[in-house]
Amino acid sequence: MIIFSTNEVSKTYANHKALDKVSINVEQGSVFGLLGPNGAGKTTLIRIINQITAPDEGEIFFMGEKLRSEHVYSIGYLPEERGLYKKMKVGEQAIYLAELKGIKKVEAKKRLEYWFNRFDIYSWWNRKVEELSKGMQQKVQFITTILHEPKLLIFDEPFSGFDPINANLLKEEILALKNKGATIIFSTHNMESVEAICDSIALINKSKKILDGRVDEIKQRFKKHEFEIILPKEEDISNYIFEGTELIDKETNNNFQVSKLKIEEGRNAELLSRIIQNTDIISYKEILPTMNEIFIDTVSNE
Amino acid sequence: MSKTGIIIKREYFIRVRKKSFLIMTFLGPILIASLWIIPFFLAMNSETKSRVLVVDETLMEKEGVKSSLYLHKFKNNKELIFEYGYDIQEAQDKLSQGDYDAVLEIVSTTDMPPIKGFLFYSENEPSLSAQSEIQTQLSNILKDHVLTYDYGMSGEDLEWFNNPKIGFYSKDIRSGKDSYKEIKTFLAIISGICIYMFIFMFGAQVMKSVSEEKTSRIVEVLVSSIKPVQLLMGKIIAVGLVGLTQLLLWLVLSVVIIGGLKTISPQTFTEPQEENITINERVISVDKVGEMASDSSQVNQVIQGLFSINYTLVILMFIFYFLTGYLLYAALFGAVGALIDVDTDAQQFTLPITIPLIIAMVCFPIVINAPSGGVAFWLSMIPLTSPMVMMMRIPYGVPVWEIATSMGLIILFIIFCMWLAAKIYRTGILMYGKNITYKEIWKWFKYNN
Repeated sequence: MIIFSTNEVSKTYANHKALDKVSINVEQGSVFGLLGPNGAGKTTLIRIINQITAPDEGEIFFMGEKLRSEHVYSIGYLPEERGLYKKMKVGEQAIYLAELKGIKKVEAKKRLEYWFNRFDIYSWWNRKVEELSKGMQQKVQFITTILHEPKLLIFDEPFSGFDPINANLLKEEILALKNKGATIIFSTHNMESVEAICDSIALINKSKKILDGRVDEIKQRFKKHEFEIILPKEEDISNYIFEGTELIDKETNNNFQVSKLKIEEGRNAELLSRIIQNTDIISYKEILPTMNEIFIDTVSNE
Repeated sequence: MSKTGIIIKREYFIRVRKKSFLIMTFLGPILIASLWIIPFFLAMNSETKSRVLVVDETLMEKEGVKSSLYLHKFKNNKELIFEYGYDIQEAQDKLSQGDYDAVLEIVSTTDMPPIKGFLFYSENEPSLSAQSEIQTQLSNILKDHVLTYDYGMSGEDLEWFNNPKIGFYSKDIRSGKDSYKEIKTFLAIISGICIYMFIFMFGAQVMKSVSEEKTSRIVEVLVSSIKPVQLLMGKIIAVGLVGLTQLLLWLVLSVVIIGGLKTISPQTFTEPQEENITINERVISVDKVGEMASDSSQVNQVIQGLFSINYTLVILMFIFYFLTGYLLYAALFGAVGALIDVDTDAQQFTLPITIPLIIAMVCFPIVINAPSGGVAFWLSMIPLTSPMVMMMRIPYGVPVWEIATSMGLIILFIIFCMWLAAKIYRTGILMYGKNITYKEIWKWFKYNN
């Protein structure tokens, strides 16, 4: 089921087009990655989803309805540029932000206690934000983003500014939220995290969407029919290749010969049967492109 | 609670709970009280001697011997030295030359005894002790006279001896136009400065608060929950309420302090303006004074006569201009706050809105000197200066149509400024790390958010 979609959304600022007919569809319960180089229009799209700015053209649907102001209660947003009131006490501030998302004070307090304990920051409840370390502030901000149990969560570059331990904690929390049924849109440059947690992506470049779909499908689409074959070190792959296969790389270490081949489509079996008649194959696998490669390829081909 | 309500609640309590608010709350009344007390205090302790010329129209000359009810009857003391003369023209010259500090004119009237014809002129408001001294001496002289000759006086006249009154004029001895100038000036300055201070202090708070939210980036989270306009309005209302709270606390505490001092020393703190009004009612009954008053009444088609200040009007107008002035500037300061980022030069944006405020203050001597003059008129019509300037004019009396026009203009201008501020605000707060120029702001008006 599609929980969120945009239909040909465009937005023009005074001197440039920030979004040009961008359509995306986000499956309920999935993690949707919004990718693109800096200045591509990701933040504009995210602000439109959060109703911070309105599109010039196009429609936006959320839970089967046109997006309207009440929907902010069902959306949680962690912006790239994060910040809290420095002079305000942590607990008070979290309650305030929760109230703005429509949660009653008592309920907010109850939920905050749970989350503060879970993130091990409860003892900081009465401290001012400026006394907290950056990592702790990030935790507080994360909690305030998810406290109203939104159906749709938007994280803009969530991993920037987190140390590896906290980044991992955050990743686990995001996946836990997904398992509880939340839908997550997140924008990032970090392609490793895309591989690790995204189900689908949309790639935006120069205000246009240039690629979208499920991560596994996209990888299939972009595969180059390259394979990695590992043979015992006495063997040489060169003895087996034929017209239509191309040796890209070959390397022999202490135990094995690792080679990379490009094989014409449908001729895997031919190659394998040739080798298998003479020697053991230690490993044979297709090399799928990484999201990073796809990203760079697609953007630079534009 | 509505979202704007939540904003107001936070913005209000966070300020009211600050130490600086508490300090200002207690310092304010002390300042206000001292404004009232210092003149009284100085008046009580003035050691300078005042030379008073008594001009006595009732002076008779028989066989080369001058005689009058009053001649040489006034006793000099450490504060007052009395001398005697005949000619009011001559007295006028001497007063303006500074030969004398004050002139006490005794007008010849048909009343017997002549208890109503006393006028007192001086460059400056006479000290309270001097006033009461002259009144006491006058009543003593008259009492002696009345006791010597039986005039068959009525009860009301006898009553006068218990509390004799003289008209106290300051400045212009010739026309009498300037009476009560002190009180009016005092009111004008106090209310003008009060509004100016309030706009500056609390307008700047709105600006600071907006730019803090922008530079700390929390604003992005806030505007994902609430419309930017609601956020800005909530802030403006909350800061305004803080200001009103402070003002109210000041008033209450000032009243308590002044009230406390009055009970300790009631004589010293008699309010001169109320007394003066009754004095003049008496004095005006004298023919000669009546003439004086009549040529001054031509000067104005003012709401109230020159001799009394409409305090209800002053208070109502003060509240009106206080609030509208604040709203107007709070909107502008809010917009400016949205343009300021960590390293932008705030000056280029604050200057255009502080200039009108400064102009209003710089011009206020001109306004006080000529409350109906061209400068005063135009500055009290232009909404950016009218809250202060109109307030300075009102104690002197302003035609109704002028007040109404000024009020209408400022309301229209507030609506315009709110619209402008909302437009700048919602774009500005999300422009990070960019030096915003006026050219760019102009572009914002061309696209919708």
